[in-house]
Amino acid sequence: MKLFKMNVITLSIMAVSGSAMGADFGVGNANLSSVNQSKYECKRCGDSNGYQGSISVSVGYNDISDIHAGNALGTAEDGAIGAVSGDVRYQGESGYRGQLQAHQLGMDNGFLSLSAGKADLYELTFDYSNLKTYQAGNVQSQLWHNNGMLTPSVSVNQFDLALEREKIGLGFDYGRDFYRASVRFSQVGKTGHQSSSIVTPSPVNFGLPVDATTRQWDAGLALKGDNWITELSYMGSFYENNINHLSLPHLNDVFTASPDNQAHQVSLAGQYQLNRTVMSGRLVTGRMIQDDDLIQMSGNPLQSWDGQVDTLDGRLAFTSMLTNRLRLGGSVDYSKRDNKSSVAEFAQYNFNSVTGAFRQNTPRDYEGNTYKVNASYRIASGYRIQAGYDRKEVERSFSEREQTNDDSLWMKFNVRAFDNFNINLKAEHANRGGSEYEANALTSSEQNALMRKYYLADRKRNAVELSVNHSPVHWMSLDINTCYAKDDYDKTQIGLTESEDYGYEVSVSLQLNKHVNAYGFAGQQRINSTQAGSQSFSKADWYGDIEDDFTNIGAGLNYGGLMQNKLMLGLDYLFSSSVSDTYVTTGVTRPYGDYYSYSHSASVYADYAVNALMALKLSYRYERYYDTDAAVTDINSIPGLVTLGDINHDYNAHQVMLSFSYKLR
Amino acid sequence: MRFVLQLAIFISCGGLLLPSLHAAPWNDLTTDELEATLTQKFAAGEYSPKGADSCLMCHRRSEKVMAIFDGVHGQGNSNQSPMAGLQCEACHGPQGNHNKGGKEPMISFGPDSKLSASAQNSVCQGCHNDAQQMSWHSSTHNLEEVACSDCHQVHSAKDPVMDKLTVNDTCSSCHSKEKADMNKRSSHPLKWDQMTCVDCHAPHGSMSESALTKPTVNDTCYSCHAEKRGPFLWEHAPVTEDCVTCHNPHGSVNNDLLKHRAPQLCQQCHANDGHASRVVPEPGSDAFGGGKSCLNCHSQIHGSNHPSGSLLQR
Repeated sequence: MKLFKMNVITLSIMAVSGSAMGADFGVGNANLSSVNQSKYECKRCGDSNGYQGSISVSVGYNDISDIHAGNALGTAEDGAIGAVSGDVRYQGESGYRGQLQAHQLGMDNGFLSLSAGKADLYELTFDYSNLKTYQAGNVQSQLWHNNGMLTPSVSVNQFDLALEREKIGLGFDYGRDFYRASVRFSQVGKTGHQSSSIVTPSPVNFGLPVDATTRQWDAGLALKGDNWITELSYMGSFYENNINHLSLPHLNDVFTASPDNQAHQVSLAGQYQLNRTVMSGRLVTGRMIQDDDLIQMSGNPLQSWDGQVDTLDGRLAFTSMLTNRLRLGGSVDYSKRDNKSSVAEFAQYNFNSVTGAFRQNTPRDYEGNTYKVNASYRIASGYRIQAGYDRKEVERSFSEREQTNDDSLWMKFNVRAFDNFNINLKAEHANRGGSEYEANALTSSEQNALMRKYYLADRKRNAVELSVNHSPVHWMSLDINTCYAKDDYDKTQIGLTESEDYGYEVSVSLQLNKHVNAYGFAGQQRINSTQAGSQSFSKADWYGDIEDDFTNIGAGLNYGGLMQNKLMLGLDYLFSSSVSDTYVTTGVTRPYGDYYSYSHSASVYADYAVNALMALKLSYRYERYYDTDAAVTDINSIPGLVTLGDINHDYNAHQVMLSFSYKLR
Repeated sequence: MRFVLQLAIFISCGGLLLPSLHAAPWNDLTTDELEATLTQKFAAGEYSPKGADSCLMCHRRSEKVMAIFDGVHGQGNSNQSPMAGLQCEACHGPQGNHNKGGKEPMISFGPDSKLSASAQNSVCQGCHNDAQQMSWHSSTHNLEEVACSDCHQVHSAKDPVMDKLTVNDTCSSCHSKEKADMNKRSSHPLKWDQMTCVDCHAPHGSMSESALTKPTVNDTCYSCHAEKRGPFLWEHAPVTEDCVTCHNPHGSVNNDLLKHRAPQLCQQCHANDGHASRVVPEPGSDAFGGGKSCLNCHSQIHGSNHPSGSLLQR
């Protein structure tokens, strides 16, 4: 065949003069004229029919003095722990497949996923997961909750601030070449306590009991042709709160429960491909409904309030490879929130008595359009420049600023021309403006006229990002990312006036030899913000400087191939530190108080293959965690405020686990 | 004669057995030259007479190659699988004269491939062209020329990016800032793989902002935090508009994923006379700074359904 004896010059000419069509090696375009599949043989192919994967049983011991450690260690149990995990796949000769994945079943955080079906025909799935997050243990409150009544008592109610989400899900997919239909159902039960507060009239922090269920239904039907795809889908979510409004013996319904609600969305999406131009679009119409009974009280004219928000979200996008060097793209997004809830006047409290002041609820509408255009041009092989312009226009009702416009101009420069270097540079300049800011449009004289809310205020943003990937030798990869961004709220006198965010991440990964690999990374981020306030209700007379500082360092090593390839040793370490320092200036500058956290996480493990099928793993994990917040005080140390006490953390936790795993093949 | 044939096959296969140590013979070609050669070769359609066995004659000693049979792409008994069709050549293109010394290029994937991402991806999209991939072409990953093989592995029993316990590693290998954010004082439980990046984001792109799986930012948040969805009788404007106004979903040095802590965060929008505008010089001295700060009283910050709850206190 002489076809492939073309010289490099011929190839170069072909490449430079290449048509707008890029390479398309899709199997549908294959030239099958010389194929005779009846002669195909697969004698050397592997056979993976049957079961493969592994199952494991773990037993261990936790030494935990603070339940917060349960976040990292998978369970807050102090003492003996155990879990079952597994990852098993089954493949039948006639094309049936099954899959089971279990992770830490028996611990507070674990999951089970099952799926079975025939590839690209149908699939049944079942999921179960338990997710428990711990905020603080042994929290103290003198309020005892029983069926909506919070009863004060001299005896202390001790409980954990922790939330548990138990989820089950079922799904079924069925499809052929040109269509696919799916139905999914999931239910999440959320229980536990979260930190909250009531006005009695003096504020009392308490543990809000949580017991709620969210059910989700999803269904979809997708159709496709040679150059088009379309999908019609429905998403429905139903939230049910099993906790009633809360009352105190002397104050009825002092805290409303989150109301039951439901949301429905119907979406129609599609894609059409015309040569190297691809257009896609979607229209989603939605409705959120909430019509719980309102608390009956004097000054409430309604039995139940009809809360209804209709939403409409749309998008139209295209991208086109005009030549092999030039790509153009663009999109238009539309988003509307039409609040159709009923409106009435309701009596409002002023601290602890009904003043007779009535206020009308304000169902908020929102309408936004986003326009984007972008272009990408390959200057030369390995050098590419991208640029784009984005504009977001928003209109809101009942707002101090009814219209805002965000304009952003960005540019990226990618270099892939060198074997060992990849370089990406991105720069952005953005500007927010809008209609006249009317500070007192809604609140009459309550708000300082110089206040500009930061999400509505005029803003200039300049940002730059640089990332470099370098592989000096084939066994080493080095990544460096840096970014700098500055937001300037130049028309704001009261409120957030400036924010600066910069940082870097460096990571290195090493394949030291066939058996040893190692990694390390370090990163820092700093966010400095300044804001101004006015006690005199005029020009700024106090200032706040907030300096957030985050540091993150990690390293690890994996050493395999020991003891005739039977033993693997590993080590991981992670340090992170979060600091937020606030300085308030009222003539003199004072630090606001400690607000920081740090943690050291380390683990070492040894994986030993007893034989081809059985393995043992011994692991040890260590967690050191410390956080502090000067706003966290003893229960009664601030006059007029009852807190949940000292819920800061300072602990060391240990976990030792021994796992036995059995390979199925 | 048989010995000579075996020797010839052994020598011609020699270069293929150590792909990681020896660069492919076509490495001298530029991306454009390689693409042009493979386009010609693909059009000529000179497929091997015996399918997979022709390839495995040399490549069967590679564990990586043989791992294809552990996953769905190596399943010969499913008519949707490449192994039931053109077998290896369904993805790697027609063999042509590649088996005569291994000098002629084949379509290859992964970090060592010189083929452009779009050319590599065209192979995958030849089959994977369904509703999940509908937004791929306008997605950031496509515009940034990310190849399917940068995230996916088909020569394995299980693609790590399809595993809940390893998908975050794949995402965070590029998204290093978000990886760091997972370790901040407050974050979603991503670093312990209890949540995954793909719970919120669609890596193949979506028709929503930031490639979110739900139509809007708030819809994404409500899918787990449905108690904040309402609609409430008394709304808090930034809550209904965009949760990200106050929260950073990837993590924060403040509690509750807040961009700043209360009262400073609240005072960036509220300067009511004698109340919100008062200076709070330290957190532990009064109810304005201590405990839950502004939320000591305005605890229904996401909205209240109490008839008298316009100040989000009840």
